[in-house]
Amino acid sequence: MAEKPWEQTGMVILQAESEIAAINMVYGGAGTGKKVMTSSSSPGVSLKQEGISYMAGAELPCLIVNVMRGGPGLGTIQPSQADYFQTVKGGGHGDYRLITLAPASVQEMADFVGLGFDLAFKYRNPSIILADGIIGQMMEKVVLPPFHPRRTDEQIEKECPWAARGKKHGRRPNVITSLELDPAKMEENNLRFQAKYRQIEEQEVRYEEFQCKDAEYLLVAFGSSARICQKVVENARTEGIRLGLLRPITLWPFPSDIIAQYANQVKGMLSVELNAGQMVEDIRLAVNGKVKVEHFGRLGGIVFTPDEILEALKVKIIR
Amino acid sequence: MKQEIIIAGFGGQGVLSMGKILAYSGLMEGKEVTWMPSYGPEQRGGTANVTVILSDKPISSPILNEYDIAIILNQPSLDKFESKVKPGGILIYDGYGIHTPITRKDIKVYRIDAMDTATEMENPKVFNMLILGGLLKIRPMVQMGNVIKGLKKSLPERHHNLIPMNEAAILKGMEIIKEV
Repeated sequence: MAEKPWEQTGMVILQAESEIAAINMVYGGAGTGKKVMTSSSSPGVSLKQEGISYMAGAELPCLIVNVMRGGPGLGTIQPSQADYFQTVKGGGHGDYRLITLAPASVQEMADFVGLGFDLAFKYRNPSIILADGIIGQMMEKVVLPPFHPRRTDEQIEKECPWAARGKKHGRRPNVITSLELDPAKMEENNLRFQAKYRQIEEQEVRYEEFQCKDAEYLLVAFGSSARICQKVVENARTEGIRLGLLRPITLWPFPSDIIAQYANQVKGMLSVELNAGQMVEDIRLAVNGKVKVEHFGRLGGIVFTPDEILEALKVKIIR
Repeated sequence: MKQEIIIAGFGGQGVLSMGKILAYSGLMEGKEVTWMPSYGPEQRGGTANVTVILSDKPISSPILNEYDIAIILNQPSLDKFESKVKPGGILIYDGYGIHTPITRKDIKVYRIDAMDTATEMENPKVFNMLILGGLLKIRPMVQMGNVIKGLKKSLPERHHNLIPMNEAAILKGMEIIKEV
């Protein structure tokens, strides 16, 4: 039998004893400049929040994957998108941001691992793939991205001069920590983080438009909700409703500018999410009162059908 | 061409694996495929269903209002999905365990007594392959050669000796399906 990837590449797959251990192992591994990732479903990711905040504070690149399930608490194992706030508004403590990628297909689930790591290393910041139980359970055709050989120790030394890999003679030690007891220095650190976040907001916004060109009404949805909304757009157009779909691919940075532009074109927007109304707040901030923005969602693991969404659009926006 | 299919029954009947083999067969034929399961936390005894979509074009929603084909393997699934077959669509059911008549007049209905046949064959495990054979008889959406490739892909290598038995069950299923 052919060798498995972990037998020939030197990669390590480790089952940790707990979520807290897992995220702190990621912290340690990332500190050496290696590519390290961890994954869980909602309650597990809640447990990881302290470590995520520490890594944002220590400016360490890593990848976290959250396959969202219905909450709050232990909740259900069925699909949900109710961790939007947790992911893009904080989750852990302090003023930090996570580069947040929302896949809408199994193909993107594969592609975003590479993209997430690239962005994490480019900005020395944690990235997160925010998926849900639909994408998590679904199987689809996937074309795997080209295989990149492991970076050599020399490459890592060169690409990550900040990493703690054993101090050589003649250089100062690399210290990786989020602790800074001098408030003046801590403010400086925060200002540096904020400058980095503004740069990410300028350069890394990603979104997809579906039948938006002549749209009179707009659905905004991410992840598997956006897949369901594609069908809604197809169905609405057979009824003569000029409906489009805007799918944020990055939830942070949020595609506010393009949404603001569509506020000049459409009569109303419906934010379709598997939660009680979270992303709708960011849409309203972008639209700034120009047109009506409403939310439609199902909760606790129930998934909406295309018909339910079209009905909600008619009731909340068109009528 | 696009086929939107729901396969629904009890957990443990091979609902999900039948869908998987169908999806892999479509993949081998170069089609776009989506396999979307829905089941409770229990592995056996609970209701289980799977949506399989085969298409020549990229697939949008894995969650559907209605289906081209519904394969119904128990009474709760009939109650839930009979109304969700598209007009002109197909409903296939196993006679065992269905005790209310099908009321829809605007769809084609087929019966396949796969549970009885599997029992006669003293091999309950081929139940789902009998059903798959019946489906492929009515809608030959994938070629038999690609179904075998799909079987190879979805069965672990140590079980590849069972492929001829599964192939025979698929052919048997093609014989026993009847229009109602």
